[in-house]
Amino acid sequence: MASRLNTKHKAPFSYLVILAFFLGYMLLPILATYLFSVATRWDRTILPEGYTLEWYQTAFASSYFTITLRNSLIVSMASVLVSLLIVVPTVYWVRTRLPEAKPLLELLMILPFGIPSVVLALALVQIYNMPPIARSPYLLVSATVIFSMPFMYRAVSNAIEAIDANTLTEAAQSLGAGLGPILTRVIIPNIFPGILSGSLLVFATVFAEFTLAKLITGAGFKTFPLLLVEYTRKNGSVAAALSVISFTIAWVASMLILLVGRSGKSGRQEHAPTH
Amino acid sequence: MPKGRNLRRRKRWTAWLGIVPVLVFCFAIEIVPIMMMVRGSVIDSKGNFTLANYASLGIPLYVNSFINSIKLSSLSALIGTALGTLIGYVIYRWPLNRVREALITLSDVTTNFAGAPLAFAFIIILGSTGIVTQFFLQYLNIKIYPEFSVYSLWGLVLAYVYFQLPLMVLLIIPAFTGLRKEWFESAQNLGASSFQFWRRIGLPVLTPSLVSGLVLLFANAFGAYATAYTLTGSSLTLATIQIGFTVTGEVRHDPGIGLAMALISLLIMGSCIASYQWATRAARRWSSR
Amino acid sequence: MAYLELTDVSKSFANVAAVKNFSLAIEKGKLVSFLGPSGCGKTTTLRMIAGFEQPDSGTITLGGQDITVVPPNQRGIGMVFQAYALFPNMSVAENIAFGLKMKHTPKPEIEKQVDSVLELIRLSDTAKRFPHQLSGGQQQRIALARALAVQPQVLLLDEPLSALDAEVRLALRGEIRRIQSDLGITTIYVTHDQEEALSISDLVVVMNKGDIEQVGSPIDIYRKPQTRFVATFIGTANQFTGEMSGEHTVLCGQYQLNTRPPADRIASGSAVLVLVRPEAIQVEMEADPRPSVNAIPGMVETVTFHGAVTRLGVNVYGQRVVADVTETNTGVINLNQKVWLTFPPEVCQVMVQNE
Repeated sequence: MASRLNTKHKAPFSYLVILAFFLGYMLLPILATYLFSVATRWDRTILPEGYTLEWYQTAFASSYFTITLRNSLIVSMASVLVSLLIVVPTVYWVRTRLPEAKPLLELLMILPFGIPSVVLALALVQIYNMPPIARSPYLLVSATVIFSMPFMYRAVSNAIEAIDANTLTEAAQSLGAGLGPILTRVIIPNIFPGILSGSLLVFATVFAEFTLAKLITGAGFKTFPLLLVEYTRKNGSVAAALSVISFTIAWVASMLILLVGRSGKSGRQEHAPTH
Repeated sequence: MPKGRNLRRRKRWTAWLGIVPVLVFCFAIEIVPIMMMVRGSVIDSKGNFTLANYASLGIPLYVNSFINSIKLSSLSALIGTALGTLIGYVIYRWPLNRVREALITLSDVTTNFAGAPLAFAFIIILGSTGIVTQFFLQYLNIKIYPEFSVYSLWGLVLAYVYFQLPLMVLLIIPAFTGLRKEWFESAQNLGASSFQFWRRIGLPVLTPSLVSGLVLLFANAFGAYATAYTLTGSSLTLATIQIGFTVTGEVRHDPGIGLAMALISLLIMGSCIASYQWATRAARRWSSR
Repeated sequence: MAYLELTDVSKSFANVAAVKNFSLAIEKGKLVSFLGPSGCGKTTTLRMIAGFEQPDSGTITLGGQDITVVPPNQRGIGMVFQAYALFPNMSVAENIAFGLKMKHTPKPEIEKQVDSVLELIRLSDTAKRFPHQLSGGQQQRIALARALAVQPQVLLLDEPLSALDAEVRLALRGEIRRIQSDLGITTIYVTHDQEEALSISDLVVVMNKGDIEQVGSPIDIYRKPQTRFVATFIGTANQFTGEMSGEHTVLCGQYQLNTRPPADRIASGSAVLVLVRPEAIQVEMEADPRPSVNAIPGMVETVTFHGAVTRLGVNVYGQRVVADVTETNTGVINLNQKVWLTFPPEVCQVMVQNE
């Protein structure tokens, strides 16, 4: 049905100009960062004066590099795990047994967008100020889960809306399955693409998360983005190298999300042109 | 079928137990802390009700940080909405499917490219020795410094527009797709020109989507912290930066003032999200048939 | 005197011909249907008349004026779309007033005209409502009112009822015909529903694969199909193959059929097709004594009750022939019963087999 307004076969020149501007704006900062990370010196000329991999070596050699990378991976994976455990059963339960709770759930999942992360960090640090929770990685993971849960919720709930969860459940029940097997053997395999893309989205979001990590754990449990910001003030070239590493991780995740999304959707493609 | 319904009805009370985990988690980590924070902002050290924290926000530092935050958010949201709509339209009208899909993917990826790496990328291109700065100096013989600085308000606007623009593109393309060909043809058939179609039908139908995009972009910018933290240091102060100082203790603040600032930010963001919800509902209502 | 005339109009999309050398003259005040399966070119033809598509060749004239290249917003031709296409941001009254505003009609006149068309479609109480508050049938009536408000010279309806429920469809069909004849407006009605086309039109144009198959009154189209496509697309028809053995007799293997004299003489010995509608066949227990009436023997293989009629499947020398009978006429008929199928020559349409 999505037929576009009178389709022409050639794009006018003005479109090309607008698109060139967009591409330039979007690509220039990224390309510049890549180039900067391999440049010997680049502050007096249009193009770098020479090329080197020195900054990557410096970055890798830093003792903090492995620690922060490890910390970031721990926080991201823990967030994925916690949010899977909370979101998947809840979405299934609300869809099949408790549809009247859906508005409440939707509200809970939109709320985090209305809370600036600095405000959440402030509130958490003030309330949970007793050891061992105070400024602990546990508190950080709790906060990142709150912030990334909506992404997981969207992905899983779209996936579950797309399958007929009620009929599948009733069919499995009629064949003698209990709640456990229904979830693990019937529902989860059917919504797996949604779960996977939700997980990747949460992973990428939390991995790049700076504000909560900086304000909740800070130097006590330093994550990768914190190290990056530190280097922007110490050594720009190393910061560029770290940026490139962080892009690469984010892009691999984005590409995987796209791939998963595409394979999940294939078979019911709906974007066929009508004319 | 009726049997299943009865079963469900008998289970209703216990069924609510199923969402207890999510409720407990959200209450413990989100709702209760925020409510305690609200309470904290109107209570003095002896536990009496007071508005003193809000009164102390009147000094220039805090007033300016809010004014800067609002300026930055409005400017980046307005520019993002205007350019994003234009670019979204071009992408939507682009004849080749493959190009359209590639551009949407690009928007998807770049809108998540925010925070420290983005800020640093802008220092590389627009810093006092950045490439664009060099280009202006050497080829066009224009000194953009010191009139412009990447660490100034406009520098931040440029960096924010980087993630606002693709977000708006992603928000507006479905709205363009929702404009039905038959509306355009009906209007033509009734004697309207292309301009008259856009003025009387196209734009009005898009308005809820434009409004929801604008407020979402505003909220997106207002809540942002990492980009500004990396880019400004302390030269330009923003509400989120000041609240951050309260948490880290880098700058000595009365904690009550931090709470009061947090609450005001929360109200601003909350009203943005509420109007976003309202506007998207209006947009959906129009496109439902 | 033709009012709207299409001459040799052709159109192709990406080298696939959608409409081939379409010529048709439509008289003023008539309701003409374009009937055919999807992809037959009927909608493309309509869109060329409206101006949304440019013909590759040929001309379209309206009231003697060539409008082939006139832009759609200056043609003065009203159109109603399949999916309502009401402007969602405007109330019913604003939707109807839109075309008049485009013509810079003075405000009082607009109001008068809006009221009068709303009255015409009997929906005066919906003026202040918005499209999403109306049912599909109501929306389509408003769309009709909106097209009529500007008093167009021609009204085009593109499958206007196909998105609606059966009951609404039936009611609205009558309404459209009533309004059309009240206003005496020249109307083209595109549909794939044969019953709709037959019941509503003055003239039916049957189309297939971009060509006109037949133009005629609904009765002619049904009773005297000129091509095999028309005969099978509209209603059900039994087909007997044979060869011409006289001026109006056809030899079909073991039996001979007397037919209505063909419009154009068909040479003896030509391979032909004889078409007979199921309801034109009578089922008798004995052969009809009159030699002019066709009578062929067969055995009942299926009996299907359809309510008003019972459809019999009869094996006639190995070929399945269907006949619609009413029990009051024939009494109870059982499976495997031997019967005679009798039908007069007038119901036998003969045509040259050209495959």
